[in-house]
Amino acid sequence: MSRFLVRRLIQSVVLLFIVLTITFFLLRLAPGDPMSRYYNPDFSPEMARQVRESLGLDRPLIEQYFRWIRAFARGDFGESIRYQRPVRELLAEAIPNTLRLTIAALALHILVGIFLGVLSAARRYSPFDRVNTIAALFVYSIPEFWLALMLILVFSLKIHALPSSHMQSLDVEGMSALSLFLDRARHLVLPAFVLGIASAASTARYMRGSMLDVLREDYIRTARAKGLPENRVILKHALKNAALPVVTIIGLDLPFLLGGAVIVETIFSWPGMGRLAVDAIYARDYPVVLAINFVVAAIVIIANLLTDIAYGVLDPRITVGRGGGK
Amino acid sequence: MSPVEDDPAGARRTQRLWSQGWSRFRKNRFGMAGAGIILVLYLAAALAPMLTPYDPIAQGDVPRMRYVAPCMEHPLGTDKFGRDVLSRVIYGSRISLMIGILAVTIAILLGALVGAAAGYFGGATDAILMRIVDALLAVPRIFLLITCVALFSGSVWLIIVLLGATGWMTTARLVRAQVLSLRNLDYVKAAEALGAGGRSIIWRHVIPNTATVIIVAATLRIGGIILTEASLSFLGLGVPPPTPSWGQMVFEGREALLSAWWLSTFPGIAIAVTVIGFNLLGDALKDAFDPRQFV
Repeated sequence: MSRFLVRRLIQSVVLLFIVLTITFFLLRLAPGDPMSRYYNPDFSPEMARQVRESLGLDRPLIEQYFRWIRAFARGDFGESIRYQRPVRELLAEAIPNTLRLTIAALALHILVGIFLGVLSAARRYSPFDRVNTIAALFVYSIPEFWLALMLILVFSLKIHALPSSHMQSLDVEGMSALSLFLDRARHLVLPAFVLGIASAASTARYMRGSMLDVLREDYIRTARAKGLPENRVILKHALKNAALPVVTIIGLDLPFLLGGAVIVETIFSWPGMGRLAVDAIYARDYPVVLAINFVVAAIVIIANLLTDIAYGVLDPRITVGRGGGK
Repeated sequence: MSPVEDDPAGARRTQRLWSQGWSRFRKNRFGMAGAGIILVLYLAAALAPMLTPYDPIAQGDVPRMRYVAPCMEHPLGTDKFGRDVLSRVIYGSRISLMIGILAVTIAILLGALVGAAAGYFGGATDAILMRIVDALLAVPRIFLLITCVALFSGSVWLIIVLLGATGWMTTARLVRAQVLSLRNLDYVKAAEALGAGGRSIIWRHVIPNTATVIIVAATLRIGGIILTEASLSFLGLGVPPPTPSWGQMVFEGREALLSAWWLSTFPGIAIAVTVIGFNLLGDALKDAFDPRQFV
C-alpha cells in the first residue's frame, strides 16, 4: 500500500508539472498583452519598459518559465498584474467560496444520486423507475446556465422566495450568527442545486445499474432465502458493494463540478475561483490564470488519488500496487 | 467475450457484429425517438429559409414590434430588436448542429489517432501520450476553453477547432484500450503470424473493430459539445452576433428575464431537445453494439 502511495504521489507531481507547463506556454504563446491595461497617453514607453522589467516580462520566455516553476515549487504564486496584490491573497478569498458551493453541490449529488438510484433499482420497471429514468435524461441534457435562469425567473423574480445572486445579503452587519447562517444558506440553495443536479442524475443512473448487478449475485439470493426483509437485503447487504463503482464516478466528477462552477458563479455573482478565472483571463492577468489552473488541477489530482485509496479501503478484494501485496 | 472470438475470419466477425447491432438498435424505441429528433432538427436546419416566417437577423419595426409576447403571428414572441424568436431558434439550429458535428469529428479523429498510436506502439510513446491525456483531463475543460477562446479571440472556426482539440482525451483512452485488447485476440495474432504487416492489420482488423466504439463515443460526445458551445456563447465567448446561436439567445434574454421570459426560455428548450436527441441515440447505439464495452 505504501509503495503504491509513493508511486501515485510521484505520478501526481509529474502530472501537475505537465499541467503547469501546458498552461504556461499556452498563455504566453497567445496574442495579447497584460500591459495593455496601462496604455494611456501619460504612460511613456520608458515606464512600460520599467514595469515590464519589474514583472520579469522582458526576460526570455524559457527563463521566465523556469523562474515560475521554481516560485511555484516554493508556493509563491506571484502578484496579480491587475489587482497588484499577491495571487495567494486573491485565492485565499476565492477558494473557500468555491468550496462552499461545490461541497453543497457534491452533497446534493451524492445523497440524491444514491437515494434515487437505490430506489429505482429496488422498484425496477415500476412507474417510479420510469419517471426517474426520463427525468435523469432530461436533467442531464439541459444547459446549466438555462436551468439557472429558469429557477431565478420562478423562485426569485416571480415568487420572491430565494435570492438570485451573491453569497449573502448586503445588510449582514449586526446580524446574529443564526440569521447570518440562514441568510447564507438561502443564497446557497439555487447555485448548489444547479451545480449538483446534473451529476446527481448521472450518479442515480450508475447507482441503479450497479445495484441491479449486485442484486443478481448469489449472496443476495442467500440473504433473501434466509427470509430477511427486502429493505435489509438492499440497505445492509447490497448497498455497500453497489456503491463501490459509484465512488469512482463521484471522484471523476469533480472536474465537472469545478468547471460548472465557472458558469454558476458567473450567473449568481458568486465570488469564487470560477469568476476570478474568467475575469483574469479577460484581463490577461497571467499569474492569476496560472495559479487557478494549478489549484484546480491539484484539487482534481488529489481527489483522484483519494478516490483510488477509498476504493482500496472499501473493497478488500482490490490489492493496489504491482506486487499484489498491501 | 463472445464465442465469435474463435472465428478465424475477422471480416466475417465484423460483419456479424454490425448486422446484429443494427437489428438490436431498431428495436429500441428510445433510440429511434432520438434518431427522429435529430432527423427533424437537420431538416429544420437545412430548410430554414423555407420554414421561417421572418428574417432572423433583420431588425423589426422596433418601438412597436419589440418584446411582443408569443401570439399567433409570432408563436415564440419577438426580441429586443423586434426579431421573430421562432425564426431565430430555427436558424440557431444550424450553428449548434454544425459546430457539434465538426467539433466531434475533430475530437474523435484526434482521439482515435492518439489512442491507436499509444496502444499500437506501446512503450515510451504510450507512456508520454497517456500522461498528456491525464494532464489535460485534470484541468476542467471549460477552464481550458475559456482560456483559449479569450486569448485567441474567436470566430466560428476557431471555436470548432478548440472544442475538438479539448474533447479528444476520453476517446483516446477508449481507443487505446480497444487496440490493446484487439492485439491480443487470436485472429489478430494469427494474421500477424501469417506475415500480415502492421498496416494491413490496422486497416483490416483494428479499424473495423474499433469503428463501433468510435461511432458510439462520437454520438455520446456531440450532446456534451453542443452544451459546451452553448455555455461559451452564454459567457460571451461563442459565435459573434448577429448570427443566431442558442446559447447567445439565452444570454441576451437574461436582461429582460421577468418582462420577456420567452427570450431565454425557448432557445434553452431547443438546446435541451437537441442534446436529449443525441443522448438517446448514443445510449441506444451503445446498448445495441456493445452491451459491456462502456461502463
